[in-house]
Amino acid sequence: MMVHHEPAVRVEGLTRIYPADGEPVRALAGVDAVFTRGTFTAVMGPSGSGKSTLLQAAAGLDRPTSGSVWIGGTELSRLSETKLTELRRGRIGFVFQAFNLIGALTVEENILLPLRLSGTRPDRAWLSQVIERVGLSDRLRHRPSALSGGQQQRVAIARALASRPEVIFCDEPTGALDTNTAADVLALLRAVVDEHGQTVVMVTHDPVAASYADRVIVLADGRIVHDMPQPGADRIAEHLAALGHRRAVTGEGAVR
Amino acid sequence: MTSLAARMLRHRPGSSVATLLALALGALILTAMGVLVESGLRYHPEPVRYAAADLVVARTDTTFTGKEFDGEIYRSTVALPEGGTVPAALAGRIRDLPGVSVVGTDENIPVVSTAGVPLSGRGWGSAALTPAVLEAGAAPDRDDEVALGGVRLGSRVDLVVGGVLRSYTVSGSVSGDAVFFTDAQAAALAPHRGEVSAIGVIAAPGADLDDLRNRIAGLAGEARVLTRDDSGLAEQSTDRAAAVLLIQVGASFGGYVVLLVIFVVAATVGLSVRHRRRDLALVRAVAATPGQVRRMIVAESALISVIAGVLGVPGGLAAAHWLTAELTGRGFLPAGFPMVPGALAGPAAFLIVLVSAVLAGLLAARRISRIKPAEALGEAAAEPAGGGKARFIGGLIALAAAGSAALAAVAATGQTAMGAALGMLYLFVLAVSLLAPWINRSAARLLATPLRAVFGTSGYLAAANLRANARGTATVLTSLVLAVGFGGSVWFLQNNIERQAVAENHSGLLASRALVAPAGLSDSAVAALRAVPGVRAATPIRHTTVLAALMGDGESVAARAVDPAGLASTVDLSVKSGSLAALRDGTVAISRTQASMFRWDLGEKVEMRLGDGTAIHPLVVAIYQRGLGFGDVILPLATVVGHTATNLDDEILISASASADAGLREVAAAHPGSTLVDTATLTGGLARDLALSAWLNRMLIAVMVGYTVVAAANTMVMAALARRRELALLRLTGVTRRQVRRMVNAEQIGLLGTAVVLGGAIAALTLSSVVRALTGNLVPYVPPLGLVAVLGGTTVLALATTILPIARLLRVPPVEHIGIKE
Ligand SMILES: Nc1ncnc2c1ncn2[C@@H]1O[C@H](COP(=O)(O)OP(=O)(O)OP(=O)(O)O)[C@@H](O)[C@H]1O
Ligand SMILES: [Mg+2]
Repeated sequence: MMVHHEPAVRVEGLTRIYPADGEPVRALAGVDAVFTRGTFTAVMGPSGSGKSTLLQAAAGLDRPTSGSVWIGGTELSRLSETKLTELRRGRIGFVFQAFNLIGALTVEENILLPLRLSGTRPDRAWLSQVIERVGLSDRLRHRPSALSGGQQQRVAIARALASRPEVIFCDEPTGALDTNTAADVLALLRAVVDEHGQTVVMVTHDPVAASYADRVIVLADGRIVHDMPQPGADRIAEHLAALGHRRAVTGEGAVR
Repeated sequence: MTSLAARMLRHRPGSSVATLLALALGALILTAMGVLVESGLRYHPEPVRYAAADLVVARTDTTFTGKEFDGEIYRSTVALPEGGTVPAALAGRIRDLPGVSVVGTDENIPVVSTAGVPLSGRGWGSAALTPAVLEAGAAPDRDDEVALGGVRLGSRVDLVVGGVLRSYTVSGSVSGDAVFFTDAQAAALAPHRGEVSAIGVIAAPGADLDDLRNRIAGLAGEARVLTRDDSGLAEQSTDRAAAVLLIQVGASFGGYVVLLVIFVVAATVGLSVRHRRRDLALVRAVAATPGQVRRMIVAESALISVIAGVLGVPGGLAAAHWLTAELTGRGFLPAGFPMVPGALAGPAAFLIVLVSAVLAGLLAARRISRIKPAEALGEAAAEPAGGGKARFIGGLIALAAAGSAALAAVAATGQTAMGAALGMLYLFVLAVSLLAPWINRSAARLLATPLRAVFGTSGYLAAANLRANARGTATVLTSLVLAVGFGGSVWFLQNNIERQAVAENHSGLLASRALVAPAGLSDSAVAALRAVPGVRAATPIRHTTVLAALMGDGESVAARAVDPAGLASTVDLSVKSGSLAALRDGTVAISRTQASMFRWDLGEKVEMRLGDGTAIHPLVVAIYQRGLGFGDVILPLATVVGHTATNLDDEILISASASADAGLREVAAAHPGSTLVDTATLTGGLARDLALSAWLNRMLIAVMVGYTVVAAANTMVMAALARRRELALLRLTGVTRRQVRRMVNAEQIGLLGTAVVLGGAIAALTLSSVVRALTGNLVPYVPPLGLVAVLGGTTVLALATTILPIARLLRVPPVEHIGIKE
């Protein structure tokens, strides 16, 4: 296997503060990370630790409060909204945690939407391969409302892969899937990394899913607390359990 | 992008139907108004009376020149309300020009048959200007001969000429409604001394018409030399007045409706886009540039507006057809007035609707495409709280503008009063629409406790929703305020004007009797009345119109000319400053509204033009209150003698003891066509006339109010239907159907209360400032039934348009509406 050492995505001093009505929420508190080309990274951590925020900022969907994001050699903060969109649709695929699909469009149209928006001709062979792998060949004409939650998630994955982007961000892609389908989807993600040199960053709560990755990053309270290369499902589970324990202790300490 | 837009539309038929309805109705109203304007503008009178003349010299209109702010000169031309005249002596000088074959002078002599049918009296010399006049018999030769149609040759006819009964022998039979006298008799009877209404010229065969025209123009001074193409302009016709009315009414109401349509369309399109925030944000996140999203929304609005135009424009043409029939039936339009089919009005309305929809789409898209894609994802169905700083400042500016408009609201005639009221209203509503998020939030805070007290848990939820959704409900609040504000002000304004006019007329009439004659009364009637024992005073009155420049434009002002002698015992104008005793030729009395609108003052020499275009510079000697009842300008009779179309009095007010009645009746009998009435009847007649002329205003106001109501209903149904997910969630978390319904009711009552308070305040402010300017009354008159209709109507509207759709949503099991199945 060929290993690329240039970074596909790099974030530096990433901070994101949400101005809330009462106390502002600090979702990210200075995150530095490099995602090397051709690698598969899992982002883990307790609920509310900032995983989705990190992914969205790294994908140029959200503008951080401070810090910078590079996709390849391009720094995002200087791009206009239009340029940013053009960069995203050429080089980034994104699978959201929920509400991924546009109800007015069929499954196929949803998958083709980014290509259509950028005016690119779809690579038919690649598309049918992707659709095959996510197991949606017979549902292409259906509306999202006729699909189960897991099926909808798979449509979103197919959409993210359709344009063969350099980097694919997935926010809990297997959260709603059964073990078998999840394994299929994860194998597909693994394959795009191994066979096509694409980069995958995936948020997950599942240690088994994380074990498909080359590297696991654990977030807590908006900071990276662990960064482990290929630790295996058992060690991941241990780390997470320790984290949960620590939080429970500090949480109790905070209560009078 | 367009096909994507179309797909998105079909997926959410509810909000697109609402937008479609607002746009289609707008197109309908605008088309109908456009047809009125277009018919008025395209009206071109065909010559009838002067159809045989090559050239006609006449004075048809008068021109005012004004300066724009940038110093540019512009002109406004106004048709002369009493018809212009040209010097009779001009005819002789034209006759001397080479290439002239026949010159005929024409008069408009007021003639009425004893049966009361108005006829048009002319001298035989003008018969040559009209083709094929004489059907049988001969031209009048002696002073007691006439030629007219429908009467046996050689028989005697009685005619009321110039208000005096005269007897003639019929020498010839003519076509049409004309009565021909000998030229000498015509000159003696003519309303104008030394002036004629037109001079017609027939050129010698082979003469160069253009050259002749230039030569005549050299002699004619201010008068115009009209060719066959437009010599119809020189003919006094009710058609021409109708054309002016159509333009005025259509343009002014069309203008207000355009603003209204823009308001409503912006609101509906904005709301429909807001309800699709999540879809649009997803499209953004899935890699649409802001530009693409904008184009998609604009394409969508354009698509809907095209469909709306296709539906609304034919509807508008049909409505114009109906309106024409109504206007003709009520005497606003002469029968057979040429209405155009709307070849321009239709496309223009279409274009206006399209442009306003596209602009509304752009505005809504600007807002939505600015949000970051991540912001609108996940739980982002929730609105970002509050509006921007710019919006707040804009709202304050609009509020300040509305306030100063209220202070400056000054108006004279019904039409301008309506304009002032509407301008103010629009500014207030604009302010409300901009400030709505803040208004909603404050209202929610204020209402939290009472709602909770009355509705319990549901009330608590309602207050929370109102607060969290302050921005989303902005449109609903605005459309409710618009409906209440509209219904509560312009409609009642009409009532106030009519009531005040009648009241002023009633309390200002000191005379006990009046002699009225639709065809006019001559001097002999006044003299005869004054000679009746027991008569203290008789005041002849002429209703006329004068023209004065207002900011460079020629404005028509309703005026009366009176004989100042004995005026004090027949009319009380409620003089505020100066004195009517000083009224004599060269002076004028004006109403308070006139003084403030034209900035005229006591002791000032003011400039105006009489109904035939003659410029006068009278000195203002009195300013009075009762302008609505008696007209805004009072001139001494001497000033207008020879300058009105008939040169006759319209009515004579009589102050007399009851014993004089028998003598008065004798005078009436001696003047056919005249009736002796008591002054209560006179005022009653005024009320009837006002009600009739107000019909058009009322109808158009009703259309506008109706449109705002439909718009409000629209937005509320849209807002209600957009809540399916939220309501389903509530029900799944254990809120019962009954509680949901109570919650929605509580919200609606909160919103409605806020809207009624605001709309009511706006309506009251608008109404009272305009009514004050108009009548001097601080407290406007509000008919109790009207008040009930406005308040009750809004309540029913607000509840029905929310409760019914919500009930529909509640019938479906909540799981259908929940979760990722969106
Ligand atoms: N739009 C927002 N406004 C305010 N606070 C927000 C917003 N979005 C996220 N947050 C807060 O930021 C923090 C991080 O949120 P984030 O969605 O990144 O968590 P997460 O790690 O993805 O959690 P989960 O595993 O539950 O998806 C949380 O405390 C959350 O409440
Ligand atoms: Mg998350």
